[in-house]
Amino acid sequence: METISRPVVVKRMPERMNLKQARKFWKEVQPFLNSDRPQVVFDMSQVRHIDAAGIDILLQCMREAVKRDGDLKLAALSPQSAVVLELTRAGRLFEIYDNSTAAVKSFSSFLPNALRQLEPQAAQGVMPMFAPQPLSSNEDGAGVNLAA
Amino acid sequence: MDIRAILLIGGIASTDAAERIAGVPIAYLDALGVPVVQRLMRRLRHFGVSKTTLISDARPEIAAFKRCAAADHHVRCLEAAGEEFWDSAEETFQYYAAEGADMVVALRVGPYVEIDYEEMVQHHLDKRCTVSMAVDSQGGSLDFFVLDPSGRFDAKELFQNRLQRGRKECEAFVVTGYANRLQTAADLRRLALDGLLSKNAVRPEGREIKPGVFLGRGARIHRNARVVAPAFIGARSKVHAEALITRGSILEHHSEVDCGTVVENSTVLPFTRLGAGLDVMHSLVGFRHITQLVRNVEVEITDAKLIDMVPVSPISRLAGSTAALFTFLPKQIYRGFSAASQREKPAESPECTEPGGSALTAPVLEAPASGVESSEFPSNLAVMRRYGDH
Repeated sequence: METISRPVVVKRMPERMNLKQARKFWKEVQPFLNSDRPQVVFDMSQVRHIDAAGIDILLQCMREAVKRDGDLKLAALSPQSAVVLELTRAGRLFEIYDNSTAAVKSFSSFLPNALRQLEPQAAQGVMPMFAPQPLSSNEDGAGVNLAA
Repeated sequence: MDIRAILLIGGIASTDAAERIAGVPIAYLDALGVPVVQRLMRRLRHFGVSKTTLISDARPEIAAFKRCAAADHHVRCLEAAGEEFWDSAEETFQYYAAEGADMVVALRVGPYVEIDYEEMVQHHLDKRCTVSMAVDSQGGSLDFFVLDPSGRFDAKELFQNRLQRGRKECEAFVVTGYANRLQTAADLRRLALDGLLSKNAVRPEGREIKPGVFLGRGARIHRNARVVAPAFIGARSKVHAEALITRGSILEHHSEVDCGTVVENSTVLPFTRLGAGLDVMHSLVGFRHITQLVRNVEVEITDAKLIDMVPVSPISRLAGSTAALFTFLPKQIYRGFSAASQREKPAESPECTEPGGSALTAPVLEAPASGVESSEFPSNLAVMRRYGDH
């Protein structure tokens, strides 16, 4: 079965994520989130200040992405953003990666990797959690749209 | 024997963030209910030091914390910045010498050291030297000196060189007791935690309400909140409903933890209010800053919903509480009338009169139409996430 990879949008977040900036950011990312099954990565390496409004926008983006059967992942968290995400308990709701590349790859490589891990178990007679499917012909070929 | 003390707070470059948290010298901050500097003054008094002069280079905006910390009428307080700081120390020494003191102790806070003063003075007398210096087991200076009033030039040289070196080699006294350099937020947290675990002489300022849990005067804990030992809740602190204070957490006086917040292995500094539903872990929080001790990162939080300051002045606090009291009832009435009901109507429950046989034998999922894979999931399943690109 041949699959068509969908683009992964990487969006760099601004240095400050207060109410004003968060609204501006929301307007910028809305088109990407409104697409069918959006795959979005927020690069948070430049975030130096994030408050409750910023966290709220992150959750709103997550909600929109999941509603359309997509996903939102966070990458390259700055220490400041990591502390605030942990403080507000929002960090546990997102998949977080060390860098944007790893986050982008995770969209295409999660399922095959999971299957590779399951194959030896299946050989030992352990029932896999879901039926294996043929690997994508384009494993790492997820298109990347840098929207920074 | 007339022993006097010069207590120095600061004296290092003002741009250096060491020994300060959010700009406030660590010496003025509380460790289990009492500021570090006050603990040292108590200790000095306990060992018979008759007079103490406190010289500080702290900025005026933290005057309130200074007042709280140095609330001792037997102590003379001086403020001096820059070069004047060390000049003041030297002048104080000359003043004590002129008044006929037998010995002068000069210590910088800086480090918190539990020295046996009697032993050190005896060591100083035995060695017949003009300056003795306390050192740790590795030979590092702990900024603690015993000075002979006759050695004015030695003292002058020592103060001019910011306690780094004297006119001649100082006699070293190796401290075997507890020592903490108090340079970072982690050091302050360790000092308080060691006190809570009885590893030093820092005792919690409060009564033990159950093993390992200490409560300061006027502290309030909601009956639905949970406090797990060891823990310290400082005077007039408030712990709201469903909050959890655990794993050696310390709430200093006048702090507040709002509903549902978890404080784990952390210290909340005085006059700090934590918002609702937060996770504060391995951190030191205060002055609208949070220092994550694992990552060693200090972050300023300007959002009052997350971390805020309770007014330091009692009048402001009283005014705030009164305003909250008067607005509470009208707010509740307004909400009661205007807000829509939050309760969801319960879904109609299926009648259970039918025997369960048919329900149990029915297939869980209906089989899709033969040969055609449905693009839609059955409506009775909640779709969490779909993987794959087909």
